[in-house]
Amino acid sequence: MITTATGRRMLAFAASAGVVALAITGCGRAEPPAGGNGGGNGGGAAEASPGITDDTLTLGITTPLTGATAGPGNCTADGAIAYFGVRNAEGGIEFGDGKTRTIEIKTYDDEYNPEKSVTNFQQMVSDEVFAGALGLGTPTNRAWRDAAAEEGFPQVLVMTGDPVFSSREDGYLDLGLVPSYQQEGGAFGEALVADGQPHKVAVLFQNDDYGKGYTQGFKDAIEGSDDIEIVKELSYEPTASSLEGQITELQATGADVLFHAVSVTPLAIADLQKVAALGWKPILFLPSNTASPGGILTPAGVTADTFTGVYAAGFAQAAAAPPFAESEAGKAYFAAIEQYVTGHEQDGKAFPHCVWSWTGAQILEEAFKNMEEPTRESFYEALTSISGLETDFTFGPIDTTVEGSPAVQVVELQKFNGNGYANVQVVG
Amino acid sequence: MNGLRNLVDRPWARWALGAVIAIILLVLPLSATEFTNQTITRIAVFAVAVLGLNIVMGYTGQVSLGHIFFVGVGAYCAIIPIRALWGGSIAEGAIVIGFALAIIIPGIVGLIVALAAVRLRGLALAMITIALPIIGVPIAKRFSDITGGNEGVSVRRLDYVASDGQTYKGNPFSAPAWSGLADDQWQYYLVMIIAAALFGLAFFLVRGKYGRAFAIVKANESVAASMGISPYRYKVLAFTIASMYGGAAGFLYIVALQYTSSETLSFGHSIELVIATIVGGAGSIVGSILGGAVYVLVPQITNAISPESTTVVQGIVILLVLFLLPGGLASLPRVLARRFRRARGGHNVDSSNSTEPAIENTENTKH
Repeated sequence: MITTATGRRMLAFAASAGVVALAITGCGRAEPPAGGNGGGNGGGAAEASPGITDDTLTLGITTPLTGATAGPGNCTADGAIAYFGVRNAEGGIEFGDGKTRTIEIKTYDDEYNPEKSVTNFQQMVSDEVFAGALGLGTPTNRAWRDAAAEEGFPQVLVMTGDPVFSSREDGYLDLGLVPSYQQEGGAFGEALVADGQPHKVAVLFQNDDYGKGYTQGFKDAIEGSDDIEIVKELSYEPTASSLEGQITELQATGADVLFHAVSVTPLAIADLQKVAALGWKPILFLPSNTASPGGILTPAGVTADTFTGVYAAGFAQAAAAPPFAESEAGKAYFAAIEQYVTGHEQDGKAFPHCVWSWTGAQILEEAFKNMEEPTRESFYEALTSISGLETDFTFGPIDTTVEGSPAVQVVELQKFNGNGYANVQVVG
Repeated sequence: MNGLRNLVDRPWARWALGAVIAIILLVLPLSATEFTNQTITRIAVFAVAVLGLNIVMGYTGQVSLGHIFFVGVGAYCAIIPIRALWGGSIAEGAIVIGFALAIIIPGIVGLIVALAAVRLRGLALAMITIALPIIGVPIAKRFSDITGGNEGVSVRRLDYVASDGQTYKGNPFSAPAWSGLADDQWQYYLVMIIAAALFGLAFFLVRGKYGRAFAIVKANESVAASMGISPYRYKVLAFTIASMYGGAAGFLYIVALQYTSSETLSFGHSIELVIATIVGGAGSIVGSILGGAVYVLVPQITNAISPESTTVVQGIVILLVLFLLPGGLASLPRVLARRFRRARGGHNVDSSNSTEPAIENTENTKH
């Protein structure tokens, strides 16, 4: 009896292994026939890269679509989906090689898990995606950066302030979209110095490249200024459930400035409520991704008078601000989001990433218009040769030719006025 | 049906079937696409991780919610020496050192944790094990000089000096020229061979003396003690072995992905491993393989259909399995066979067929 039972288990083991193996083989796709990638009638032109035919180009976006970062993550795809949705409806984009192509977007959920983003990269290669773009997150993008380089696969306009993506390292076809964390932190530091008044600064930062980047940029900017003193620095882990302890401790230092390098939405909201509850009225600095009036300030109950001043570094207009919705570009943006983004609730203004994604799509369009051959190399060449491109919502023109810098470089300091943000030069 | 069952009961038929599957798995990567090979490789990686968790949870009945910690530590123990030493005088020896450390260090850490933790039982033990990934992530970030922190470390594009004296960029896990294989095939075989060896060891472990002791500890600690089996000692043993399997899975993770970061250790992934164990089948070797397959394939399939619904689909899979197959996917053949017999009016029931998944282990103690 025991022999039989053991045997049956062995059999079950073998059978299941076989079933799994066969199922996967069934799922496997045949190798694409050599040279059969659409560009066949190009007549002497370079052989087309995977993912581009005479009438379509497939773009992959791997980003967190579910989980804690799903809100901003979905936005990183939605802006581009809306923008290219409009362009596709107009018939497509005329590329530099004279052919008109529509842009097909494939999204992949990485759940903010680096292992999943590597998987997604492998899946993109298997799905014959032309290039990966606009993905959110430092570890998730880092995870497949070297793999993309080995494959000669472009990983462009990534939404992380990690400067490595804009380092133009040999062998990598990568480029960042958003200004580095250091640039944002620096913008606030400079404005604080320009104020000329003495300030005591309390710093709360996320214990990773994000929080450290902001803090470093700020410190570099205030270096040499005798008026400004950092009285206390506290850090936290992104997994923390509450930062009340840190806020209380920082308030007790008597600082008049709170440098708040916090990227987790619920924590940022709870912090602002706690600061207000303590009766503390500091000058507050917020990073661009946790400064949105609709997503952060309104839920936290912050008005123009709650604190001495709420400042954020920004590089693009906020979709939640009233002037945005009244502008021509803003109307077109909301109409496109409404029409082309399906499957989940999305108003295009809860997170700034939707506008950033739209901006990224405009930069991609410019690169598509200028790429002369249907290859990844030609695309990357075109993408990194853009200068003086005016986009709908950024504060300055796009310049991708500067070594070491991401596509968007112009950072402005903004002050919250109760409804939205207005650009300012000096704190105070 | 009876004819088939008789055929299946013959040893030569089982060996033949096993051989056929082994041959399929051996030959498959030569013809399958790159992505298929990479997918099966990842399934093997997580099957080993789930197997480790199964040894402590499924076979010994101790809840561990921190298993990913050992996978993450194993990954660091593998990647750090490989980054430091590969391309130097010992060349491929670096990979062997990485493999050894990835098993030894998590084993030692697991032993130390277990010595203290398994004095607690049930939920209390579960709470303690939650602490591992929760402290693991900040520790990994604190030592970002060697761990790369949140940004992670990769073993692709490492510098090495070739025989012509020039420095090139290389990947320790790319296929060597003599093998004539593509990188994905080389990584497939490397992972498969190690995973097969680990599964073989686990197979004999859970069916031998230790396996019987684990089963008795799981069933009733007082009975175990009355039989001269120290529950404490065997729980520590199971926990330590599970940690070593976790560490080995960490090494395989590096072979398959060639990257790790502090995010690898995060608590959420630990829960996903527990779910994979339950969905696959707790206390079952086949269940570990199925658990690894579920862990890898569910997100991959939802990506192809509707990328925004990964978590919803995972939830549905868990609920369906818990309601319909409480023993996990591994119990599916048994459940189907029982349904089939019931449909035929209960004829042909021989006692060995009524073995329930829940007592799969305890039956071994009847030897």
